[in-house]
Amino acid sequence: MDKENVFYEPLKAKGISRREFLKYCGATAAVLGLSELTFTTKIAQALESASKKPPVIWLEGQDCAGCTISFAGALNPPTASLVLDKLSIRYHETIMAASGHLAESAYHNTLRQGGYVLIVEGSIPSADDRFCMVGGRPFREIVEEAAEKAAAIIAVGACATYGGIPAAGPTKGMGLSKALPGKAMINLSTCPVHTDHLVGTILYFLATGKVPPLDEIGRPKAYFGQSIHDNCRRRSYFDEDMFLKDWNDPTQKDWCLYEKGCKGPDTYSDCSIRRWNDGINFCIDCGAGCQGCAQPDFYGGMTPLYTAEGERSRKILARKKAGLIPKKENSGKGVV
Amino acid sequence: MGKRIVIDPMTRIEGHLKIEVEVENGKVKDAWSSGTMARGFEALLRGKDPRDAPYVTSRICGVCYSVHQLTSARALDDAFGAKVPWGGTLLRNLAMGAQYIYDHVLHFYQLSALDYLDIMAVAKYKGRDKDLLAVKDKIVGLVKAKDTFPLTPRYKPDAFCVKDPDIVISAVKHYIDALSMHAKARNMGAIFGGRTPHYQSIVVGGFTQYPDINMVARFRTMLDEQAKFINEVYIPDVLAFGTGPLFPLAKIGLGGGHYNYLAYGALEKDPAGKDLVFPAGAIMGLDPKAIRVQRFDQKKITESVKYAWYNQDKPQHPYNGKQEFDLDQRDAYSFVKAPRYNGKPMEVGPLARMLIAKNPTLIGLVKQGVKPGAVARHAARAIETKLVMDACYKWCDDLLSAMTKPGFKIHDTAHWDPPQKGMGAGFYEAPRGALGHWVKIKNKKIDNYQCVVPSTWNASPRDEQNVRGQYEESLIGVPVPDPDNPLNVVRVIRSFDPCLACAIHLIHPKTNEIRKFTVQ
Repeated sequence: MDKENVFYEPLKAKGISRREFLKYCGATAAVLGLSELTFTTKIAQALESASKKPPVIWLEGQDCAGCTISFAGALNPPTASLVLDKLSIRYHETIMAASGHLAESAYHNTLRQGGYVLIVEGSIPSADDRFCMVGGRPFREIVEEAAEKAAAIIAVGACATYGGIPAAGPTKGMGLSKALPGKAMINLSTCPVHTDHLVGTILYFLATGKVPPLDEIGRPKAYFGQSIHDNCRRRSYFDEDMFLKDWNDPTQKDWCLYEKGCKGPDTYSDCSIRRWNDGINFCIDCGAGCQGCAQPDFYGGMTPLYTAEGERSRKILARKKAGLIPKKENSGKGVV
Repeated sequence: MGKRIVIDPMTRIEGHLKIEVEVENGKVKDAWSSGTMARGFEALLRGKDPRDAPYVTSRICGVCYSVHQLTSARALDDAFGAKVPWGGTLLRNLAMGAQYIYDHVLHFYQLSALDYLDIMAVAKYKGRDKDLLAVKDKIVGLVKAKDTFPLTPRYKPDAFCVKDPDIVISAVKHYIDALSMHAKARNMGAIFGGRTPHYQSIVVGGFTQYPDINMVARFRTMLDEQAKFINEVYIPDVLAFGTGPLFPLAKIGLGGGHYNYLAYGALEKDPAGKDLVFPAGAIMGLDPKAIRVQRFDQKKITESVKYAWYNQDKPQHPYNGKQEFDLDQRDAYSFVKAPRYNGKPMEVGPLARMLIAKNPTLIGLVKQGVKPGAVARHAARAIETKLVMDACYKWCDDLLSAMTKPGFKIHDTAHWDPPQKGMGAGFYEAPRGALGHWVKIKNKKIDNYQCVVPSTWNASPRDEQNVRGQYEESLIGVPVPDPDNPLNVVRVIRSFDPCLACAIHLIHPKTNEIRKFTVQ
C-alpha cells in the first residue's frame, strides 16, 4: 500500500470520500507543514528578542469584549501574572492606560519592531469598511498591517475565527481565515474564547516556543479534537431517546437536550470534559444545550437555537436513525 | 475657534468610542461623541426564531452579557404571554446579582482607577507591609526591565492624581486583587448561569438550570468572599477617594451634564414584583434639595436619527424604529441614535438609580458637597453594589425555601412555543443603566427587534433641536489646562462606564476627514 492509502483506507471505511480526504490533506499540509515551521522560527526569534516578555498586540474589531473578559477570568495562573509578569501587552484597548494618540503610538512602535504575538478579537466587516473604524482607519487595514510582522497570530472567539454572529448580519463580518488568506494562524473558536484554551495556548508558546498541533481548520487538536456529544454526560439519554421536555421536572433534568436544540453531535470542543469557569458549570450542564459556537458555521448554520425544528437538528436525528452516531457503549470501538 | 482634541480610540471602555472636544481658554466649549463600530444585531434578528434573541443579544456586550439576555427574555415573556415562576425569577436575579458585583468592581479598578493614580509613586513607599512591598518590587521590577506595558504610556499625572505613596500602593494592590475577585464573581454567576461571559440559562418563560442545595451553598460561600472585598476594600476605597483626594473634583461636580435621570427599575424582592432593589422613575432637572421623581412611562421614549447613519425619519417609538444603515447621511457623525424621554436627553446608570431611589447614603454625600457628576457616579456604583450583594443573600434564602416546597417551578412550559403574532417590551437595569428591548412577532418569527441601551442614552449625539447628548453636555466647561493631557475628559467619559458595543453606531468617513485632528 502506498503512503497515501495507508492513511486513506481506514477513513474510507468510515465513509469519507477520496475528494474530502485530499482536501483535508491539503489543508493539513498548509497549516501543519510549512506554516508551522515558519511559525516556530518566528516565535523562537520573538522569545530571544531584546524584551524578556513576548510583546503582544491585542486588536478588537467587531467584538463584544467577551473574549477579553474571558481572558481576564484566569485564576491559575491569575490574569495579573499573565499581564504583568509573562507578557508585554503593548496594545489592548480595554486594559491599557493610554488613550488616543498615546495608545496609537504604543501600537505603531510595537509594529515597527515586529516579532509580536497578534491576538485578534471580533470580526472584520466585509460589506463596508466603515462598519468598523479604529483611530479613524478601517479595522481591516489595521489587521492586515499588524499581521505582516507578527510572529504568531491567534484569532480568539467565534467572530475573529470564522465570523460568528456578525457574519449573519448586514455588515457581513468575516473571520481572520477569510480576511488573511494564506496566513498561518491559531483559531480558538467558541463564543467567547474559553479562558483555558487561550491561556493554555499562550503557556504552550512560552514553554516550547511552538504552535500547538492544529486541526484542518487551525484549531488546537488538544482542545477541539472530540465532539461535545462524545463526552456528554447526557449521551446515554440520547441513545435511549429520552429528551428533556420540561425544565421544571426534576426527573427529566439530566435527560438529553436534543429537543431543546442541542447541536452537540455537530460541535467539536472539549467543553463537556473541561467545562467552563474553572470547571463550575457549562452550557449543557445548566440545561441549555450546545449551540455549536465552536463551529465555523455558527451562528447562521445553527439557528434556530432552542428547538429541534431546524434543518441542522433534523439532520442530526436522521444520522442517529441511520446508526451513524455511535452509541455510548460502542464508542471508541470503531463501530459505526 | 478653540483647539480641537480628538481622543480615538477612547480606551478602557467596552467598544469603540471617539470623543472630540473643542477647548477654549482651558475649558471644553463643545463636544462630540461618536461610536465607530456596528454589527447590525437588530437587522440580523429579523426572520429568526424569537427564542434565539436572548442568546444572540447577549453577544451585544461581553461585559454586561446577562442583562441583554434577561431584557430580551423579558420582552419575549411579554410577547409570548409567559408568566415566570418565582423560582425562575430568583435564579435570574442571582445570575444578575453576580453580574453587578463583578461589573462594578471591574469598572472601578481596571477601567477607571488609572486616571486618578500616579502609579509610579509606589517606588516611594517606605512602609513595611509585606504584601505592599511585594507590589512595590513588582512595579519597580517592571520599570527596571524597561517594560511597564500596559501601565504605560499614560497621560501625565495632573493636580488631581493621587501621589501619596501609601494610598497609591494600596490602590495598586487592590487593582491586582480586583482582577481575581471579579473573575471569581463571574464564576459565582456561572453556578446558575451555566458559564460566563454569556450565560446560557436565561430563556423566555424562566430559567433552564434546575437548582440543588449544593449550588445555593456554593453561591453563598463565594458571595461571602465577595462581600468581604466589597465591604472592606471596594467601598472604603471609593469613599476615601471621593471624600479625600478627589473631593475638589466632586465639589465642582465635574461632568454633571443635563441633570435629567431615568431608571426603568429592576431586581424583584418579592413575587409580586412590587418591591424592587432599583425602583423605576424619572427626574427632570434635578434639584438636590427637593428631589422630585416622576412615574416612568415607556410611551414617552422616542429615538431621533437626525445625526446618525440611518435612513432619515422623524423621531419614533422603538416599536416602530427601523435600523437601516445609510452610510452617506451628510449631517450624521455617529451611529448612535438619540433617544429622548418626553423629548429630553437623560442620564441612565448608577447615579440615576440612586437619585431616583433617594438612597440615603448618596443623599448624605450630596449634603457633604459631592455634586452629581463623575465622582458621584463612582460613589453611586459602590453604594448599589452593596444593595445588590445584600439582596443576593436574601434571594439565596428565598430560593432555598422555595425549592424545598412541592410544586417548585423555574419555567413557564405552557408558553415555550412562539405565538403566531405578538409584540412585547422588556425593561431592565444594566450595570450601565436603563435597558429596553422591543420585539414584534409575525408568523412565529421576529418581524422587528429594537434595543435602546444605556450607552445609547448616555452617548447619544444631538437631536432634532440640536440638543447635545449626555456625554457631550457633561463635557462642557470641563477644565483642560493641558491639551496634551485631557485627563478630565477621559475621567468624565469613563465615569459613565461606556459600553459602546451596545450603542451600535458608526463613524461617517466624510465627516471624519473633516474632523480629523490629532492632538497638537
